[in-house]
Amino acid sequence: MNIIACVKQVPDTEALIKAKPDGSGIVEEGIKWVMNPYDEFGVEEALKMKEKFGGDVTIITVGPPRVMETIRTALAMGAEKGIHIDDPSLYGADAYATATALAAAIKGIPYDIIFCGQRAIDDDSGQVGAVLAELLGIPQVTIVTKLEVADKAVKVVRPIEGAQLVIQSPMPCVVTAQKGLNEPRYASLPGIMKAKKKPVEVKNAAALGITAESKAKVVKTVPPPARPPGKIIEGDDPALKAATVCKLLREEAKVI
Amino acid sequence: MEKMVYTAGNEGRDVFWNAVNFQIPLDIFALIAFAILGYGLYKRWQLWTAVGKPETRMDQRNVRIKTLLRNGLLQASVSRDKYPGIMHGLIFFAFLVLIWGAAFDAFQFYSGIHFLGKPYLIFSFVMDVFGLAAIIGVVLAINRRYFEKPDRLGYKGKPDNKLDDAIVLVLILVIMVTGFIIEGLRIAAFDYPEFEKVSFVGYTTALMFQGISLDTLKFSHQAMWWFHALLAMGFIAYLPFSRLVHIVTSPINQYMKNLKPFGYVEPIRDFENAESFGVGKLDEFTVKQIFDSDACTRCGRCQDGCPAYLTGKDLSPKKMVQDIKTHWLERSPLVFAAKQAAGPEGTPEIPEPEKSLINDVVGANPVWDCTNCMHCMEHCPVFIEHVPKIIDMRRYKVLMEADFAPELQLTYRNMENNSNPWGIGSHLRADWAKELGVKTMAEDPNVEYLFYVGCSGSFDDRGKKITVAFAKLLKEAGVSFAILGTEEGCCGDSAMRGGNEYLYQALAQYNIEIMNGYGVKKIITTCPHGYNALKKDYPLLGGNYEVYHHSEIIADLIASGKLKPTKPVDAVITLHDSCFLGRYNKIYDQPRKVLQAVPGLKLVEMEKCRDHSFCCGAGGARMWMEEHGTRINNTRTDMAIAVGAQKVATACPFCMTMISDGIKDRGKEEQMSSLDIAEIVLQSLGTESKQEEPAAEQKTA
Repeated sequence: MNIIACVKQVPDTEALIKAKPDGSGIVEEGIKWVMNPYDEFGVEEALKMKEKFGGDVTIITVGPPRVMETIRTALAMGAEKGIHIDDPSLYGADAYATATALAAAIKGIPYDIIFCGQRAIDDDSGQVGAVLAELLGIPQVTIVTKLEVADKAVKVVRPIEGAQLVIQSPMPCVVTAQKGLNEPRYASLPGIMKAKKKPVEVKNAAALGITAESKAKVVKTVPPPARPPGKIIEGDDPALKAATVCKLLREEAKVI
Repeated sequence: MEKMVYTAGNEGRDVFWNAVNFQIPLDIFALIAFAILGYGLYKRWQLWTAVGKPETRMDQRNVRIKTLLRNGLLQASVSRDKYPGIMHGLIFFAFLVLIWGAAFDAFQFYSGIHFLGKPYLIFSFVMDVFGLAAIIGVVLAINRRYFEKPDRLGYKGKPDNKLDDAIVLVLILVIMVTGFIIEGLRIAAFDYPEFEKVSFVGYTTALMFQGISLDTLKFSHQAMWWFHALLAMGFIAYLPFSRLVHIVTSPINQYMKNLKPFGYVEPIRDFENAESFGVGKLDEFTVKQIFDSDACTRCGRCQDGCPAYLTGKDLSPKKMVQDIKTHWLERSPLVFAAKQAAGPEGTPEIPEPEKSLINDVVGANPVWDCTNCMHCMEHCPVFIEHVPKIIDMRRYKVLMEADFAPELQLTYRNMENNSNPWGIGSHLRADWAKELGVKTMAEDPNVEYLFYVGCSGSFDDRGKKITVAFAKLLKEAGVSFAILGTEEGCCGDSAMRGGNEYLYQALAQYNIEIMNGYGVKKIITTCPHGYNALKKDYPLLGGNYEVYHHSEIIADLIASGKLKPTKPVDAVITLHDSCFLGRYNKIYDQPRKVLQAVPGLKLVEMEKCRDHSFCCGAGGARMWMEEHGTRINNTRTDMAIAVGAQKVATACPFCMTMISDGIKDRGKEEQMSSLDIAEIVLQSLGTESKQEEPAAEQKTA
């Protein structure tokens, strides 16, 4: 079985995010980059499928040279090979341009199933998987927490408000992974060592025959407003303190 | 009666009196016995050397000889525990003396030189004393093993006595008793010569033979003599096939004691070219690691203080060593035979083991139950190294199989991404210092000390209070210091002890690079885990510093008058010894000195303190793992409650977390609290009245 897992490199959830003074993006210096956690569920599911049915797992990502580290992480977990789409025109690309690049790379290779994370934790757009499926003309099942494969079809569970849908789709298809699908494995040391020698193809937009054009553009990146400091009401008389709290809640916070 | 030829001033006896035609059969028996002994040990040697990676411990000969003399000949390590120490000492010294006694007799016989008079009297008295000692020792041993039945001579309440244990005890007892009967029969046959009263046990025994005819005495003597001689030969021949083999293996193991720092774990030195990491199969242990198990006598001291075992976990260090031994005795002959068959040039076809070392032989739970507290290694009289074996097996589980607790995986990811086990953003590492005006090394590298804060002290809310308190003490005392700030990284101790050597070395190398970059020479830590790692493990990776724990520094500052705790802190306090400070680094006195310098404090000791201290449960990466069943920290807290402590002093942020949780779990928050020694001293300085006494502040407001 030919399995593809698309991954994105994102800042660590705990990293200190600062907007550039000109609002053109975030300050990348000092940021610890990690694999998007939802993509990690996708990689894990891809590896589990490979272990069950045999075959290869190919990791594909779009981004600057630093994303190679994320490909190596997935290779260390057990994937066979990687494709790194590196083109300055794609830096900061929107979901459509990214999916276009991914689709172009995927069209050239055989595939039975494609995993994506249900969204990336940086821009939270959640569209790449869906657009990719459209561009490839194959079905998509999104936000999946359980997956079974039988007879060239997948049966997945997709939780919705108060219930869960069980959806069946023929393969090939795009599956976007949600938390709960699995517990991503910790890479073994031989895995890490072997990953250094696994093949990763680096391709640019020209090689893929695409011109990347983002339909949506980020106009400005601004930090969220700083939280005003809390207020401590001091005093000896609890009743008086409570009255002060009420007064402030009514007059300043305007919540009661 | 037999004619007595020995007169006053010439007291003595015929060596081998009454033994007719004994020499040739005795020589033959002796030859057979020693041949069996030699053969048995030779076979054992084959088993010792057949499996395992090479490891030699033959350096520093003088130190090793001293260790052996001290602990083997003088029984220092064995005698640390009273009852078994006395019991073993009686048998051991008797054995030692009586063997020379027998040799002395043989010398007299073959040389024809007879020592008469006083030398004989002294000799006979000494022999009787030690013969009796052996009997008492064996009786003590029988009493302990079969009547007192302490838990440590078993596993989970079930004794692990073997037939061999009984055979050995009875064998020694019968040899000793028959020896005295022979002596008694001889004394009776010579009609109780007055001077033989010095052979007081033999003489007393002889009194039982009054009125027996000389012929009967002589016949009985001869029969008993042969019986005694054959048993003694039997003892020699039985030695390599029984627990008696420890007479050989235990001293060898003592000689091969680890002379590197206590708690030393051999680092993995070549990640790039190694094919396997850690120990997943018996032959991945070193020969020394396997030999350990043959030096074990199942005395159970290791188990007796093991926090995991005592709180009902599967791990027993003794059982682990014995399980490895059983597996080795199954595997080693097969491996040896395969190697023999292949010859020196060929590749031996070694059959794959049926059992997995970790999952089947030792058990996955025991491997992860260990808190690395080192109680087992501290108290093993023959210096078996349990903890490095456990770490080696963890390495296999983590590095080779990536099969370990999910919560520990998260911890490692956090350490990878944010250089701390909690996974809090690494940019927040120095936030505690913001309002204190503590300098960073980047701001002033020309300070005397680097204060390596560590993760607990930087990220844990409780730990940060300790850090702040200690930083205030340093400032108060005018100590020149700085921190690394956000350049500091996790020390990696939890990764190393949790088997993730790869991650540990990455973290350590990062820190070493930073510290060497600033030319750091002296380091202070508040966390004993960082202390131990920086002091003992970092030198192996190129980081050589003078490392001090804050308990040492505070003790010094108080002694030199730079810190003057004057304000009384009225409380009954007990000190919980951190394993990584105490057993690992033998820092027992400094934190106590600090507490004793604080007026008003009444220091009480828990039953398990100092080298017997009971772990808080957080060492060896257990801090980050779920604990099932009885919690170690609660058990430890109960011990503090038992001595009526109002405050539990700690000198380790991990211990602080565990004891604080224990106090909460036991519902004792109203009556008790845990405080770091730095916080107590700060209280006693009286410079902190505002923060420390909010109640007083309210009254005046």
